[in-house]
Amino acid sequence: MALQASKNITSTILHSKNKVWKSPNHFIKRCSSAEWSNLAERPKNKVTDMPPMSEPVKGLPRAVYSNFREENQQSKVTTLANGLRVASENRFGEFCTVGVVIDSGPRYEVAYPSGISHYLEKLAFNSTKYYPDRDEMINKLEKHGGICDSQASRDTFMYAASAYTTGLNDVIQLLAEATLRPQITLEEVEGAKQAIHFELETLLMRPEQETILMDMIHAAAYRDNTLGLPKLCPIQNLEKIDREMLFLYLSQHYTPKRMVIAGVGVEHERLVDTVQKYFVDIKPVWEVESLFGKRPVIEVDKSIAQYTGGLEQEECDIPQFASAGLPVLSHIMIGLEGCSHQDSDFIAMCVLNMMMGGGGSFSAGGPGKGMYTRLYTNVLNRYHWMYSATAYNHAYNDTGLFCIHASAPPNYMRDMVEVIVKELVNMTCHVGDQELRRAKTQLQSMLLMNLESRPVMFEDIGRQVLARGHRKRPEYFIKEIEKITQDDIIRVAKRLLMSQPSVAARGDLRKMPSLEYIQAGLIDSEGKMPSGRKLSLWR
Amino acid sequence: MASILKLSQSVAKLSKNPNVSKVLRSASTATAEAKQVSLNVPPTKVTTLNNGIRVATEDWGSQTATVGIWIDAGSRYENAKNNGVAHFMEHMAFKGTGKRTQSQLELEIEDLGAQLNAYTSREQTVYYSKCFSKDVPKAVEILADIVQNAKLGEAEIERERGVILREMQEVESNLQEVVFDHLHATAYQGTPLANTILGPTANIRSINATDLRNYLNNHYKASRIVVAGAGGVCHEDLVKLAECNLGQINNTYSGEIPTLSPCRFTGSEIRVRDDTLPLAHIALAVEGAGWSDPDTLTLMVASTLLGAWDRSQASAKQNATNLARVSADEKLCHSFQSFNTCYKDTGLWGIYFVSDPLSIEDMVWNIQEEFMRLCVSVTEGEVERAKALLTASTLLQLDTSTAVCEDIGRQLLCYGRRLPPHELTHRINSITARNVRDVMYKYLYDRCPAIAAVGPVENLPDYNKIRSSMYWIRV
Repeated sequence: MALQASKNITSTILHSKNKVWKSPNHFIKRCSSAEWSNLAERPKNKVTDMPPMSEPVKGLPRAVYSNFREENQQSKVTTLANGLRVASENRFGEFCTVGVVIDSGPRYEVAYPSGISHYLEKLAFNSTKYYPDRDEMINKLEKHGGICDSQASRDTFMYAASAYTTGLNDVIQLLAEATLRPQITLEEVEGAKQAIHFELETLLMRPEQETILMDMIHAAAYRDNTLGLPKLCPIQNLEKIDREMLFLYLSQHYTPKRMVIAGVGVEHERLVDTVQKYFVDIKPVWEVESLFGKRPVIEVDKSIAQYTGGLEQEECDIPQFASAGLPVLSHIMIGLEGCSHQDSDFIAMCVLNMMMGGGGSFSAGGPGKGMYTRLYTNVLNRYHWMYSATAYNHAYNDTGLFCIHASAPPNYMRDMVEVIVKELVNMTCHVGDQELRRAKTQLQSMLLMNLESRPVMFEDIGRQVLARGHRKRPEYFIKEIEKITQDDIIRVAKRLLMSQPSVAARGDLRKMPSLEYIQAGLIDSEGKMPSGRKLSLWR
Repeated sequence: MASILKLSQSVAKLSKNPNVSKVLRSASTATAEAKQVSLNVPPTKVTTLNNGIRVATEDWGSQTATVGIWIDAGSRYENAKNNGVAHFMEHMAFKGTGKRTQSQLELEIEDLGAQLNAYTSREQTVYYSKCFSKDVPKAVEILADIVQNAKLGEAEIERERGVILREMQEVESNLQEVVFDHLHATAYQGTPLANTILGPTANIRSINATDLRNYLNNHYKASRIVVAGAGGVCHEDLVKLAECNLGQINNTYSGEIPTLSPCRFTGSEIRVRDDTLPLAHIALAVEGAGWSDPDTLTLMVASTLLGAWDRSQASAKQNATNLARVSADEKLCHSFQSFNTCYKDTGLWGIYFVSDPLSIEDMVWNIQEEFMRLCVSVTEGEVERAKALLTASTLLQLDTSTAVCEDIGRQLLCYGRRLPPHELTHRINSITARNVRDVMYKYLYDRCPAIAAVGPVENLPDYNKIRSSMYWIRV
């Protein structure tokens, strides 16, 4: 009988065991000396019956490799009878990525308590009508070497899975079940609540501030409406969201016309047939059962995002990086109204974003990470106290937000704001030939390099088809980027500066200037602040 | 106990018995039924240049590509005096060459829209570039230049000391890295694998141009170099480029030819008790297998069986490994992950976890319970699942040209060839529960573990107690 045979571990057993261990009398002489020497040496006999990894296994079938040329590929789109669109592109490799891209996300949550999408993200790929046992579903996916994931952005929700191409049928079934026929049991809702709670807790314990600041600047820019609604479930809403409400939201937003099924590395016809079978022929669960009790139906929020500008700030302690050498930081994000991805200025805006670039003052990586972008050469290399400065360009269906995120010790808050405002104003002044050329090349290479990855390509196909019904190929964008001139950059920069600023700040904000002060600086042709105080390198 | 011992002896006997060994061997030779298997991936082509440099590519004709130089050199080849020189050299490569200054080099890369990167591990030094396919010749020329003609100017070396010391600070703020450095220091005590990659502060302060030059001359040798490319790279072109840019590198050593000394594993422990830290960070490992050992994949499967988990996973209670389930149910830890780190002739197989000070003992108990289960009663079903997961994660990783290039470079150095995908799946598929138990019995059962613990670790059981749970006493 084994002393440690029990598999049901309870603390009582544990403690009684510990007592046994502590008593020296129980140290039994384990085996004869011959056996001992047998154990002391590592067994010399081979335990895995295979040649070393450096030698090929004999008798394997001869491999016939593919002769793949990427440029021969094209995207195909089919619209099914109920309005559901299916888009795909073929690709080499044993694996495919397929998924559902849905016109859904926190921007549509105005009539609901914010946080629905956050809940749905955590609830994805739980038990469904066909698979009441989640394990069974995941096991099936694993048999095809698959993994699955869900992701919510402000206006798009995605469910995706990667697996062997041979498993396409099962993968599509699983995706259809996850999107259209989830069970959302009370237990699962509770699990999601805990996971969100833990995520919010972790976010507050980490020095990185991007996620929180992004929510804040969107709230400032769109005044708590549409895109200004938070992506992170507010802690006070955790208790407000229930199963009925989730189903009500799903029934309104997960409709065929708002969805695109996209695939990379799959045969289009096969994909269309399978999608018809599982997404169309079998109905969503909310069409066959009544799931939202007596709640009145709330229609989809169709309002267009209204940019307002404004200020969101939070005075708080920001956790430090564990290392002793790094200072406490305050964070600021200054944003201006950008443009939609359907806007004719969109590409120029992207080039401008690339030209501003930026990153952290340390660990910038090797060359090629934008070391000669403006936020490096004009800001990070010049002001040693700046810890980071990065430009972001968010584009949505009807609007956009262009912003710069910067961090520095709290004492430098004012200087940091001045430096960033000056850089924003500077965008309208002059664009060098070389920096424009570089920004264009880097944007082109970034586009193509990102598209090497199947999940990125899936997202690109899905989002483009959702927005405009077809996918423009990377070559189109490469050409469009090439056309951008200095005048274009200055034009979009002026367009940006015409808007009211949106500001988000977190940390020790005692030295934080007022919103009016920032506005005044942005209006000044040199980006000078009203006090006329000169910015000194050495303070 | 005895029954387990007999089991292993009977396996030993089995392989001596000619009749049975035939049956066993059939696993290593695939069934001859399927003579041909078609793979939807391009082949990996390998060419050896006259000076011994190996050039390997996987060409899929895309518009972007990754090319790089993989060198069989790293901190393992250093001694107490020059520990840190390999990493220092990697830093100096970006600081200008005879042909171009640092800023010229940076601008050249930035203007191409390319990326240049490098890293040093204990056994490998890697320089690679991601770029447009049309710029591959330029990228190879730059890579060859920084590897062969680094300027090593005094002023730049002085400046870089500060940067490396700051990098060290960053590493020290990452407790996981600290724990793994301690784990190596104790497990491989008295051998070069115990050294850190960055080296001690004293060395970083004292390394000079001569040290770097000596290191370069003694290690960046043709037969130890692999040039790898993936994405839009034509094999024949890359071979020509390597010939013309790296053709001068030879294999003659001016000094003593460096040899790979075997690194002895010592079961032992390091505890760095620091009660000011909120959580304890602990690694527990036994000696695993080297890169090319046939047991490596089985050890990977065993690692997958232990799994990984952290508190943010909403659905941990379902479909997780035993250890993940018990961690979630009993709130034993904040996170854990199993690891199987390979070197040429040895490796570390084990688990790393982060937990509240008061749950350390329970966590260790559960880990060791799971260890014993792997040795004795792991089942066919869970092994099948772990195999599928391992195959998927290995193949799914190969998603970008950089990942594929990395795979090619590493495999060429470790195995001297690229494992074809169907061979990898065949090898993994032929692993059975029996094989997992045998391998665990060989590497884990009744072995002295190496332990590294940092933080409030008062509750970590005494070494001998942990050691005495590495076997079962049966009566």
